[in-house]
Amino acid sequence: MGVVKLMVLDVLKPHEPSILDMARKLGSVKGVEGVDVTIMSVDRKVETAKITIEGTDFMYDSLLKIINDYGATVKSIDRVSTGKKVVGS
Amino acid sequence: MLSTINAKLKVLKDYNRIAKIDRIARRYFVMNAFDGVLAIMGILIGSYIVGSHPKVVISTSIGAGIAMGVSGIWGAYLTERAERQREIRELERATLSKLSETKIGRAATAAVFIIAIIDGLAPFLSALIILLPFLLLSPFLTVKQMYIYSAAIAFSTLFLLGAFLGRISKESMIKTGLIMILAGVVSGGISIFVLGAENLRLT
Repeated sequence: MGVVKLMVLDVLKPHEPSILDMARKLGSVKGVEGVDVTIMSVDRKVETAKITIEGTDFMYDSLLKIINDYGATVKSIDRVSTGKKVVGS
Repeated sequence: MLSTINAKLKVLKDYNRIAKIDRIARRYFVMNAFDGVLAIMGILIGSYIVGSHPKVVISTSIGAGIAMGVSGIWGAYLTERAERQREIRELERATLSKLSETKIGRAATAAVFIIAIIDGLAPFLSALIILLPFLLLSPFLTVKQMYIYSAAIAFSTLFLLGAFLGRISKESMIKTGLIMILAGVVSGGISIFVLGAENLRLT
């Protein structure tokens, strides 16, 4: 089975905890080499974030656990890249 | 050991950032310490007027301090818990997920307990501080001196609470300290007036 090297998630999260905390925590997951969290829209109580994770081989479940612990929900998985190299990069 | 304490402090800092504990705890602390000081000042004035024995002053004040402490803990716990639960429910509706087992839920629970403890400790500790001359210095002081020292501590505590508020609001700490002292003067003045100034044994 191919290893996951890139993943883009569409996430709905409360304003607090901040994306800074969440990005740091996601960056500490085994196999993750880079994390980018971008706020796409802000509502009164929640915000939508696009989370891009790059690594050598990481487990989606570990990421999901952290995201949920921060009170956020994954609305959709928008992109996944597996294999020896990331297609289109 | 040290790393465990550091880890716990980090978690607490996280909870504080999420649940804004320090802001609310600060407010409760000042409000209830202020209540405690004025209540004990009232007891001191009443006791002085009727010439109560220092033991009566101590037991009455400590009794009042305990009552204010328990009332503070209970009151803050129930009101904070209700408010936090409402906030969490609203957030749950917005995020479409259960939040009680998340960092947000844990931060809210921690906030409720910390605020309740601060709310209860503030009036109790302020009562104890004011009573220090009665509790520790009774062998060295006359009864009148104990009252004077306690009143001095009460006014100093009021000033410090005011100065603390001044520091938060970035106003003059002396000005806010004096406003607090004025509250003590007004409260004491009304007590003396109501309880009968002619009975006040000033000699």
